[in-house]
Parts: sequence; C-alpha cells; structure tokens
Amino acid sequence: MSDVMSEAGSDIADRPTAGAARSSRPKPESYLTNDRLLRVARPVLLPTLTAAVLLGIWWALASWADLPAVVLPHPADVWSILKSNFPLLSTHMWHTAYESTLGFLIAMVTGVSLAILITYSAVLREAFYPHLILFQLVPKVALAPLFVVWLGIGAPARLSFATFIAFFPLVIATAQGLTEVPPEMIRLSRSLSATRWQIFRTIRFPYAIPYIFAGMKISVTMAMIGIIVGEFIASQKGLGYLILFASSQANTALILAAVILLCVVGLVQFGIVLALERAVRRVFGSD
Amino acid sequence: MTLSPAEAATGADITISHVRKTFETPRGPIEALAGIDLDIAPGEFVSILGPSGCGKSTLLMALAGLEPATSGHIRISGAPVLSPRRKTGIVFQEPTLLSWKTALQNVLYPAEIAGQRKADHAPRARALLDRVGLAGFEDQRPRGLSGGMKQRVALCRALVQDPDLLLMDEPFSALDAITRDEMAELMLDLWSENSGRTAIFVTHSIHEAALLSDRVIVMRRRPCDVLADVPVPFGRPRRMDVVDTPEFTAFSSHLRGLIAEAMGKTEAQRHV
Ligand SMILES: Nc1ncnc2c1ncn2[C@@H]1O[C@H](COP(=O)(O)OP(=O)(O)OP(=O)(O)O)[C@@H](O)[C@H]1O
Ligand SMILES: [Mg+2]
Repeated sequence: MSDVMSEAGSDIADRPTAGAARSSRPKPESYLTNDRLLRVARPVLLPTLTAAVLLGIWWALASWADLPAVVLPHPADVWSILKSNFPLLSTHMWHTAYESTLGFLIAMVTGVSLAILITYSAVLREAFYPHLILFQLVPKVALAPLFVVWLGIGAPARLSFATFIAFFPLVIATAQGLTEVPPEMIRLSRSLSATRWQIFRTIRFPYAIPYIFAGMKISVTMAMIGIIVGEFIASQKGLGYLILFASSQANTALILAAVILLCVVGLVQFGIVLALERAVRRVFGSD
Repeated sequence: MTLSPAEAATGADITISHVRKTFETPRGPIEALAGIDLDIAPGEFVSILGPSGCGKSTLLMALAGLEPATSGHIRISGAPVLSPRRKTGIVFQEPTLLSWKTALQNVLYPAEIAGQRKADHAPRARALLDRVGLAGFEDQRPRGLSGGMKQRVALCRALVQDPDLLLMDEPFSALDAITRDEMAELMLDLWSENSGRTAIFVTHSIHEAALLSDRVIVMRRRPCDVLADVPVPFGRPRRMDVVDTPEFTAFSSHLRGLIAEAMGKTEAQRHV
C-alpha cells in the first residue's frame, strides 16, 4: 500500500542528503535559473531568430541584388504600402476574415453533426464514411469553379466552397474520436446502467475532444483557403480579390502587404481555436 | 478505519442454475458455459480458477448483467439478473479509468451516472482512496499513477456505491509480482474488516485463490463447467503469513492438481 508510505519515507530520507549536496556546490542558484530561462525562451527565441534571418536575406537581396521591384520589392516599400493603403486593405481584410470564419463555423456545425450521426447509425456510417475518406483524396480546389456555376458569383458560392473543403477534416477527425473510444470504457459505463446520452456526454465526447480540435485546426486553415480561392474567382471584395487585382497591376508590394494581413487573420483564427481548446479541456478535464 | 462501519450489513446471495452460454461465430457456435450450477452464500469470497478459455469471464459478465446467458437463470438476492444492477461493483482486468478525470472524479463516476450529488459521495470516495493508500493522490490524473495505483482507484470506484456484491475479473493480472502481492494484502485487509459483501474473484493464480477466498471453484474446458468446488481451510481474519504454513502449501498443491485435471492432463503428463 504503500506508495504513499514509501514516498513519505524516501522524502524524509532524502532531505539531509539533498541539503548537503546543495551547500557543497558553489554556484547552483543563478546558474540554474539562467538555464531554465533559456529553456523557456528557446521555443520563442529560435523561430524569431529564423524569421529575422529570412527578413535580413530579403532585405539584403532587395537592397543590393538589383532585382526589379516587380520581382522582389523592398521590405520597406511593402511596409509603406501597408501603411498608406491601410484603410483599403483593412476593409478587404475584414471581409475575408468574416467570410472565412463563417465558413469555418458552418463546417463545424455540419461536420460535428454528421460525425455524431455516423457514429450512432451503422447505416449512415456505411453509406457515407467511404465517400468521406475518398473525398479526402480528391483535390477539392479543382471543384471551385463548379460552385460558381451552381451558385453564381457571390457569397453563397464562396461560403459553400469554404465550408465544403473545411468540412472533411473535421468530420473524419470527430468521427474517429467518437468511435475509437476503448470498448472497455463503454463496457464500464454500461455496467453502471448509463444511458446512451450519458455515454456520449461522459465518455465519447470527452474522449473525442482532442480529435475534434485536431480536426478544427486543419479545418480553420481550410476555410481560409476556400474563401481566398472563392475571392480569386468570384468576388469584388476580400484580400484574395485584392491580390488578384494587384497582380494585374504588377503591384507586387501590394500583393505582399495583402499576404501579410492574411497571415495575421490566419494566426488570430488559429489562436482563437487554441484558446477555445484550452477552455474546453479545462471544463471537461480532457487531456 | 474500516471501510465504513454501517455499510453492507448483508452481502448478496447468488443462485446460478443450468446456465449456458453459446456464442454464434462465423466458424460455428462456441459453448462458453456448458451448464453451470452454483449457490453462493451472502458474504462469501469465492475464487473462480481455471485454464484460459474455460468461460470464467463469460460467467462473470453474465453475473454482471452485461452479457445475458443463453439459457438457465441467475438470481442475485432473489431477483433475476436481466441488466446491470446498482449494487454490483465490478473491477475489470484493466483499470479502465477515464483519463480526463482525476482519481477522485473516477471514483465518483458511478455516482455521476446514477445522477446522485457528487458532494454526498465525495467523503466516502476520499475515505476509500485513503483506505487503499492513495491519500494525497485524489487530484492526480491516471497518467500520473502507477499500474497498481490505477487498479486501486478502480477498486474504490467499484466500492463507492457500497455494493453487496463485488465482481473481479483477474484484477491484478496486469500488475507486476510485487504489486500483486501488495494488492492481495490489501484485499485480505479489506475482507478482514468483515465487510459482509459477497465477492467473486476470477483468477489464474492458485496462490491468490488460496490466499484470498473462502471457497474455490475450479472450472474446466471442453465442456466449460465446474470441475470442483473446494472450501478453503483458513479462517478470517487472515494474514499474509498464512502462506508460510504447511497447510497452505498442501492446499495449493491440491488446487494445482485440480487445475491440471481441468486442463485434461493425465497423472503421467503432470510429472513430465
Ligand atoms: N464475444 C465472444 N464471441 C465469441 N466467442 C467468445 C466471446 N467471448 C468469449 N468467447 C469464447 O468463449 C470461451 C470462453 O471465454 P472466456 O473469455 O469466458 O474465457 P476465460 O476463462 O475468461 O479465459 P481467460 O482466462 O483467458 O480470460 C472462449 O473459447 C472464447 O473464445
Ligand atoms: Mg477472462
């Protein structure tokens, strides 16, 4: 029994030796904290360093390699375009952010719902699951023009296309999480006379949470891709449209400025998903 | 402390009559229980011992109400078993803890499913964890617990509803030898406190069967039925050192002979 006792015992036994070791070593405290600081900072420090080096290379190439601005504008020019055109850029940015978020949310609701349905209905599972897997393999971007043919140029085509490509990773990940619950866990809850709803709420869903969020992280970037592609072919608004427009003007600096804003939107969306994941895991105590 | 002074005054009594279980498989029917008849008295600790595939788990699942028998019937305290009953606690071979719940939350899981207020059961759950030596580990997730600790949490979870019947299917078989001994000692202590509850303990271990139980049922394969029903000649309260007695050695070797018979070995083969 006595993991507790032996642990307490070893604690007492260890104390004097640990103290002795500490006092016999000359410079432990500050050395250790520096070490720990480095370990904590490293995951931030290293990527920042890489980015800085890349930016430096870009800067150097643009400054001294004598490339035409259409091929490689100077970072400073991109920055000044970003600043001077900010009102225009931000209107387009909000449009893209809004539609990609909406597309993602629709994919969430429909994807998780379908995953629950195929978890509980063998008929639906057998009818749909092979196609879902098959569709994962289809390069779905190739189908974008079809949505324009069906739904015309406008928000319905863009949104349904974004939903369409964001949907698959989510259904598959969620269905996987809901169905891969170890059968012993289900047997345990059955032995306690749990209802189907209780089994879902206390076992399947908490078990699937990490899967669902893994799906959401792919899905949220897919929704953004869907909206950009939609804006390329069926829009007068949004950063995708602006990029296409800027390229027709050979305004590479504007393209890059728009791409920077796209990255910002994508990062914020991804960050929200991460924050949500933390919150949900805290509530459900999921790991 | 005792598990709780006022609890489980009477264990369940069990009547198993003509129980058969046949699994239909693509390769034809498999008879996993070929007519079992057993009566178990309230408060008895019964081990079921037998070679692999002789239907021990099948019998236990039928008692748990999880896998109904094909024919025959099982009554627990007079009532036929048609579905899982609240007053039966089960410990499976694997701890089967919910990895996203803490030790305490896992112990309280049966109360959660029963729709009872967790706060009403928390003191008892804590007392149980304390009793099995897990005080201070209440808020640990399973991944922070050793195999033996997890199985002790699973034992507390099976006991939290104060069952009158505890079913255990090889609960220690996934543990190392030293931890197994520790668990056996814990079981011995718990049953020395005269809990009154009935226990059925499926095992492959002759040692555990002899040490822990009041009665050993030896099952055999082909047909899957009861070969022998042996009373254990040691009283209670019982201590670990009973294993050092010549009586224990003699009883163990008697059981070993029965197991060999259950596996269909002849006297000659046993001595090869
Ligand atoms: N769900 C099932 N479907 C088909 N056959 C099964 C099923 N469950 C058990 N069996 C068969 O029934 C027989 C008894 O199985 P059971 O699991 O009860 O044996 P056991 O005594 O518990 O064995 P072990 O000691 O290895 O756990 C075996 O032949 C097994 O293959
Ligand atoms: Mg078994």
